Amino acid sequence: MAERVIVCIGTRKGLFVAEGGKGRRRFALRGPFGEGVAVYSALIDTRGTPKLYASACNPFFGMKVLRSKDLGHKFQETKSAPEFPKDDGRALANIWALEPGSQKKELFAGTEPAALFRSEDGGDSWIMVEGISNHPHARTWQPGAGGLCMHTILREDERVHLGISTGGHYLSEDGGVTFAPSNEGVGAGFTPDPYPEYGQCVHKIAGHPDAPGRLYMQNHGGWSEWDGPGGRRPDIGVLRSDDCGKTWRSIAKGLPSDFGFPIVVHPHDADTVYVLPLAPMTRTCPDGAPAVWRSENGGDSWRRLAKGLPKKESFFTVQRDAMDIDALKSPALYFGTTTGQLWIGHEGGEEWECAFDALPPIHCVKVAVV
Amino acid sequence: MAVTVHIPSLLRGYCEGARTLSVEAPSVRAALAEIARMHPALYRNICDETDAVRRHLGVFVNTTHIRDLDGLETALASGDAVTILPAVSGG
Repeated sequence: MAERVIVCIGTRKGLFVAEGGKGRRRFALRGPFGEGVAVYSALIDTRGTPKLYASACNPFFGMKVLRSKDLGHKFQETKSAPEFPKDDGRALANIWALEPGSQKKELFAGTEPAALFRSEDGGDSWIMVEGISNHPHARTWQPGAGGLCMHTILREDERVHLGISTGGHYLSEDGGVTFAPSNEGVGAGFTPDPYPEYGQCVHKIAGHPDAPGRLYMQNHGGWSEWDGPGGRRPDIGVLRSDDCGKTWRSIAKGLPSDFGFPIVVHPHDADTVYVLPLAPMTRTCPDGAPAVWRSENGGDSWRRLAKGLPKKESFFTVQRDAMDIDALKSPALYFGTTTGQLWIGHEGGEEWECAFDALPPIHCVKVAVV
Repeated sequence: MAVTVHIPSLLRGYCEGARTLSVEAPSVRAALAEIARMHPALYRNICDETDAVRRHLGVFVNTTHIRDLDGLETALASGDAVTILPAVSGG
């Protein structure tokens, strides 16, 4: 069967699945699944027969994990969703990340309140990962505007990187058993100490298998004007690490704003990275003119990509998991907006078109070629 | 002391389609515990892992919300109707 591009679009009113050919000019839309319920995370698991997963944050009846074995024609609830242990005292509020593990049916879920859960059976049962979920810092993390969430789970063999808002970056070097904060160079604008050990409002972390040890981070920036205790802290929003996340340095120079949510790496070039800068006060497109910015040299310089995007009067937000890139030879970028538009940037973002312009507000976008 | 628990339509798939359940329980808490025993997946839709009734659900004894009675400790009498309803919320 010819390759197809599958796009999972998690919205405030359920999950949509778009399917298109390699040309990526026309997509058929299915859904909503989990209708009426916010979907903050999705996963297209391409190990073996592809499976689609989505979290459904039902305000009435609690969290569900949805699973499809037919590329999103039908979804069913898995047998259970992550749950905190009976005597823990915390109650699951949302699932912000779903990621595959290294074993065949292994999955990980990052949750709100911030904790990590592991499944060995494709999401039918879950156990809490103690090393981070009951880390001594865990009860001191504070919620950001979106809630206290673990939104990034990034695996590099025995290293596991977690992004927590607001907890910062935590690193495990023993396969996810024990974790330690790893935030040297990651700034925070909302504490007098500009570089605390932990507690940063990390927005997203991305890596690339061809460059082990290198990571890119979109952190909570927008603090260049601060003149209180601790002094100014410009350019703390977009960062890079070359030592497995032990230390970080700014790569924000040249961007119109160091505030944003998603950060995405080109599938075939670890030096090519994309961000979508937002105005720090409103968290919307600067001057109402959305643009993705691309660096082709690992963050040393940036170029604006906006051909086909609105030139004015667009004040949407693109949330942390709402931008992704496919892995075709000439990849396309995809981002979803809080105003319900799904944009596709052909040729690595050189030319944009709106694939869907009236979906519910979009929380997450995941794409895979199957 | 048999009471009747009315199940909202959205949750009937978790109790084999039953519109109502008959349980022997002296209090709302005991009625929910009985539901947990009979239909664990249904219970998880009504209460979170701390055993608190989910925030956007209302539990009524006859026509009165349990928040206006004794909460989960509200006593039940034979023939009472316990109704579980999604609250009016969202947007």
